[in-house]
Amino acid sequence: MRIKFWGVRGSIPCPGPQTVKYGGNTACIELRFDDIDRLIIIDAGSGIRELGNYMMANDLPKGSIETDLYLSHTHWDHIMGFPFFVPLYLPTTKIRVHGPVTHEVDDTLETIVGGQMTYRYFPVRHVELAANIAYDHLKEDRFDLGDGITLTTKYLNHPILCLGYRFEYKGKVFCTSYDTEPYTNIFCTDPSDPSYDEGMDVEGEVVAKEQNQVMEQFLEGADFVVYDAQYTQAEYEDSKVGWGHSSMEYVVETAKRCRIKKMALFHHEPLRTDKQMDDLAKDYCCSGEDGGPEIFFAREGMEIIL
Amino acid sequence: MNSDLMDSNDSQVTKIQKYIDRMPSLSTTVTKVLEVCNTPNASPNDLNRVISLDPVLTGQVLKLINSAYYSLPNQISSLARAIIMLGLNTVKNLALSTAIISTIGKHDSFKSLPMDDFWSHSICVGVTAKALAAQQNIPIIEREEYFVAGMLHDLGKIPLNNCFAAEYVQALQLAELEQGPLIHAEKLLVGIDHGLSGRLIGEKWQLSDTMIQSFCFHHDPASASSGNRSLVATVALANLYANIYEIGSAGDLFPKASFLLDILDIVGLTWQDLGPLYNVVCGEIDKAQIFLKVAEKDRNEN
Ligand SMILES: [Zn+2]
Ligand SMILES: [Zn+2]
Repeated sequence: MRIKFWGVRGSIPCPGPQTVKYGGNTACIELRFDDIDRLIIIDAGSGIRELGNYMMANDLPKGSIETDLYLSHTHWDHIMGFPFFVPLYLPTTKIRVHGPVTHEVDDTLETIVGGQMTYRYFPVRHVELAANIAYDHLKEDRFDLGDGITLTTKYLNHPILCLGYRFEYKGKVFCTSYDTEPYTNIFCTDPSDPSYDEGMDVEGEVVAKEQNQVMEQFLEGADFVVYDAQYTQAEYEDSKVGWGHSSMEYVVETAKRCRIKKMALFHHEPLRTDKQMDDLAKDYCCSGEDGGPEIFFAREGMEIIL
Repeated sequence: MNSDLMDSNDSQVTKIQKYIDRMPSLSTTVTKVLEVCNTPNASPNDLNRVISLDPVLTGQVLKLINSAYYSLPNQISSLARAIIMLGLNTVKNLALSTAIISTIGKHDSFKSLPMDDFWSHSICVGVTAKALAAQQNIPIIEREEYFVAGMLHDLGKIPLNNCFAAEYVQALQLAELEQGPLIHAEKLLVGIDHGLSGRLIGEKWQLSDTMIQSFCFHHDPASASSGNRSLVATVALANLYANIYEIGSAGDLFPKASFLLDILDIVGLTWQDLGPLYNVVCGEIDKAQIFLKVAEKDRNEN
């Protein structure tokens, strides 16, 4: 498997002189299986625009484009690049879009993702797209993707339904785990509070602990994990609990516990400058030479081969 | 198909099954549901509480959580667990969409059983079942299931009361006249009792076996499977307790004394053990009523 980052930011693109090194585009990851000529794309943040251009120049000359796009969820930073993905405008392109859909009356993946393409938002309507596009509502499950690739999906802890992906191929494991934060007991834990309920408190504690364990089993032993690490622990505790993103401290510890070999910290806070990222890297990143996990900040253009 | 279903009138079963899909929430709680769900920072405790105080909403939210929509690996029978696993927003949206759909046509929803009395009865049985679970030293984390089973045990009366309103009024009158059990009158006059009707709901909503058995067998816990018998008997005891102390009413006012002894035997408690419950149960019901009334008062003042 070959993994390349085309977008690593969270929330909103933030191009500019302060973000040249790590990049300003929102989430998009290319996953190649070179020996079987398969391409999977994870998320359609603003980074997918550049990937599309690359595919037009490099894949198209070898034959028509066929790919699967797996969306972690439908928050805007993960789908905003979709209308700018040029292969959609070729009649020869075949693309299958997979992703979770939050339960709201009448919403489908097609209306949420394709709904960006109405004249009110964009000059081209979804119905005018030339490519053959199929949509697939994804749940927590295990899939055989053919050619020896298997995929396991896992619900994450985010304000809307969001999936983590675990791809396995030829004995190697690649996982995505964003956007997410650790499960916590969100029920009132203060017995003097009038709304306190002992049953809820105890159950909340038990279920949160159990769900964190299930999450760790999902990541266990992975060769490479892309993990949400938008905040430092101090930022997280100060005002970001419940926003659906993790702290660097938490994911670094998780990587050790789960014996993850390599981990990219991902979904960077848009306010973070290159200089600040370099400083944080000194505290949180490690080479893995001590036998522990190798940890680094994901950078646009970076490529990992498993 | 089960023999019970075969014996009953097919057209009645079909009528109930159709009705289940548009079964309304109790208007006793719906104002508060809307208030909590429309609050941007609704607290998880309030959300859990407001859903659990409405037996129809609880059942429908559990149905959605366990539906193919999420295809979760294990059945979830607790709202607290669902709120942690799927998130506050997801559960809030489920409750909101259910409550809004459910309020349509709520005016004709309770024809002969007064709704507020039915609600008081349901919560009394839920709270009592949970308190009895504590007396039996059931672990805290399992007690919520007793509450939910108690709260939902009489759901089957709602379709009977609405699909066969005229017959149901007669059944209630007959039970009172005979000073006998309501299920006999239901069978006689409607052709289906609320145990069977409850099972139709439980099966349609794909609720857990434990839940379905407590709907079917709370008038006959000895028939419950051995794994569920103790919980079902606890719900049955809570139901008798509510009827004897006349806390709320769901039309079933004349329990047989011998039945009470049988159930106490299964649960392993004596009538004396139930003495200290009264204050606990009344306190919990008061709290729930206050919790629900705050919304109503605010609305009336506006
Ligand atoms: Zn995001
Ligand atoms: Zn998000």
